[in-house]
Amino acid sequence: MSTSASVPAWLARGARPAGVGLLLRVKLRAAGNQLASAVAEAPLRFAMTMGFLVAIWLGLYFLFRTVFEYFQRTPLEAAVAIPLVFSFFFLALLVMLTVSNAIIAYMSLFAAPEAMYLLASPVHPRAYVSMKYIETLVFSSWSLILLGLPLMMAMADLTDEPWYYYPLFLSFFLCFVPIPGAMGLLLAWGVARFLNRDMRRKLLIGLLIVLAITVVWFLKTMKVGEAEAVRWLKQFLFRISLIQGAFLPNAWVSKGVEASMQDRSIEALLYLGVTLANGLFLSWLVLRAVSSRFLVAFDHAQSTKGWQRRAYVEPTAGLPGLVFFYLPHRLRLIAAKDLRTFFRDPLQWTQLVILFGLMILYLVNVPRYAGGQPLEGWGMIIPFLNFGAISFILATFTSRFVFPLVSLEGLQMWLIGMLPLSPRQLLAAKFAFAMTVAAGVAVGTTIVAATMLKMPLPWALLQITVTFAVSFGLCGFAVGFGARLPMFGQRNAARIANGFGGTVNLIASVTLVLAMLVGMAALGIHNRFAGFQGAIDMRTLLIAAIVSAFGIVCGVIALTIGARHLHRAEL
Amino acid sequence: MTTAIDIESVYKHYGRKVAVHDLTLSIAEGELFAFLGPNGAGKTTTIKMICGLLRPQRGQICVCGHVMGTDGLAAKAQLAYVPDQPFLYDKLTGREFLSFVAEMYAVPAATRDATVAELTEKLDMEEFLDKLTESYSHGMKQKVVLAAALLHDPRVLVIDEPMVGLDPRTVRVVKDLFRTRVRQGRTVFMSTHTLEIAEAVADRIGIIDQGKLIALGTFDELRHQARSQRSLEDIFLELTHPSNGAAGDVHER
Repeated sequence: MSTSASVPAWLARGARPAGVGLLLRVKLRAAGNQLASAVAEAPLRFAMTMGFLVAIWLGLYFLFRTVFEYFQRTPLEAAVAIPLVFSFFFLALLVMLTVSNAIIAYMSLFAAPEAMYLLASPVHPRAYVSMKYIETLVFSSWSLILLGLPLMMAMADLTDEPWYYYPLFLSFFLCFVPIPGAMGLLLAWGVARFLNRDMRRKLLIGLLIVLAITVVWFLKTMKVGEAEAVRWLKQFLFRISLIQGAFLPNAWVSKGVEASMQDRSIEALLYLGVTLANGLFLSWLVLRAVSSRFLVAFDHAQSTKGWQRRAYVEPTAGLPGLVFFYLPHRLRLIAAKDLRTFFRDPLQWTQLVILFGLMILYLVNVPRYAGGQPLEGWGMIIPFLNFGAISFILATFTSRFVFPLVSLEGLQMWLIGMLPLSPRQLLAAKFAFAMTVAAGVAVGTTIVAATMLKMPLPWALLQITVTFAVSFGLCGFAVGFGARLPMFGQRNAARIANGFGGTVNLIASVTLVLAMLVGMAALGIHNRFAGFQGAIDMRTLLIAAIVSAFGIVCGVIALTIGARHLHRAEL
Repeated sequence: MTTAIDIESVYKHYGRKVAVHDLTLSIAEGELFAFLGPNGAGKTTTIKMICGLLRPQRGQICVCGHVMGTDGLAAKAQLAYVPDQPFLYDKLTGREFLSFVAEMYAVPAATRDATVAELTEKLDMEEFLDKLTESYSHGMKQKVVLAAALLHDPRVLVIDEPMVGLDPRTVRVVKDLFRTRVRQGRTVFMSTHTLEIAEAVADRIGIIDQGKLIALGTFDELRHQARSQRSLEDIFLELTHPSNGAAGDVHER
């Protein structure tokens, strides 16, 4: 080491502070190492992830293809609906990417230990903000692979598109992504700069209200049959014109894609240019603005992190104790602690609310798609699909949030281990918590579905019983496998869920759902002519009982395996 | 003697809570300064302001003559910060991380290689340096972060709880490293709860409580200030919790 106490070498040589290139290089190196270790250390998990991606991709492709095929049956509907599909698709993408970019940008710019480390070194704030902006854009571009490409391929598969449709579509997507990226970055900066914790909560509630109003407006726009046709069409076109305004990015992209589909290449290029120019200009503007005031926002975010105006008194403070009234005192304490943690972690409850909120939105609108008529012709298909959707959402939730519960207790095992609780009781408390949340939401959604479909009570009870059973099985798997294949010492719940045990649990959960779906399909086929308007015969009851018992037995077995392992383990 | 860190009438509050209240403190070049205080006294806030991570609401901080608020990059180039929770990129090896830091401070490759070799030997890192840092224990991470902080030979080393997680041999090595740096004219600003280490290695000690600097000086000066000939632990307890004095007496008897 040099002993000179003069200025550092890099300043003496007139070198510039570390730039975005160096930061990106280190990120690329880390990504390369991550890929290599994923392939080498967890090939099964890697293969599963790839497999699920391909499955989701294919599912979306066939979904888009079916929608376009449906529209193409009547040329007039196709002419109106296909541009609308693109417009809504890119509008939804604009909103979703803005919000997700804002969340990613906030977490990585203002809440990550990396920020603390790099900002104490001679890294220019502009370099740091630019690196994070590029990182969020890369994350955003996943939507291109997952949503954009199947949409493009489905469209091209049905119509005879010119060759330049493909590069133009991809270019539109890539030029579009920086717009929500920049808006998200600005939003994240604004939240960090001006809002404290109380105000952030109010903003979140405000955004949810705006979202609800938007959804209501959208549903009113799509409502058919309550006005005379011409008046309805006029109102519909007026409302739709609001989302196709000349200043909206989704309109540029949808019009550009439409032009490229119809062989109007010059017009398509014009819209591409407009999208690109706006994307670049907005990015430049936002990067400059955010970088120049970044340290002020960073200081504000750090200074208000643990500060609250009032002592934290939760309005639902007594709720967990009430919810688990049926549990013995000690188990109730553990389950209530988990429920409190759940409510205080927006990542957990917002994901559940969004997924099931969308589900309920769909369920409420099921009768509309049949022009307000009962869905008699659909027989058992809709309840079957509802059951499948609820089960898969539940499997995602339990794999991501319930599975890590036991592992996360590893850090507090000195506390939990000292309590007069057996491992079996500990798992019972975890299971009670998981079931309360999962079955509560799943059964609630099923009741909404049954009401909307005007299901007779016996059929509704049958559907509720099977939903309860699948919740039982999935929670049993998540808690049981969580105890059998734990990652004690790991603080990051996402890493626990993505580890070997988490992968095993996910595969088991999906297999359980598929097996129960096969049973429900058998039930549907048996009743295919009568639908749920018919009476429930013995055979139907028997199938439902077998399916439900299967779910519950699977859950019990997993819990038993987990409890035995935890009992033997040295904590 | 020139000033390495100059803190002038600095205030920092979080809402209604005052974290640092009218703090004025100068640390000279070639000085090892130990910053002590109870939990929540304002130590980490002060350190973050020195490193430019937080901004004082009033007053200013200079590092090697550069005002942190207006000339932050030049100031940060002169210092290295080791936080209490060591940060490393999980998916880089320790060696890759050190190379990244060296590049960030434009350390020439030959100097980097020589320094990394020297620090690897001193801190006993050879066995794990080429593994991904996600597999490191707290102590291993602390060693790598410390090595990264020393790579560019900073004029000021700011370090929050330096000895947590280190084995006794490494604690000894780190203490020697600090003293060597101070003899070379570098400055070490260390926040710690380990009073024995502060007593053993610090040139001067500052005690902060409820955001205010309540004692400052060499160990002997603090003894004089507290009118006591006892250990730093007793002086610390006497100053930060005066009611504990009796308990201290009982303990001593």
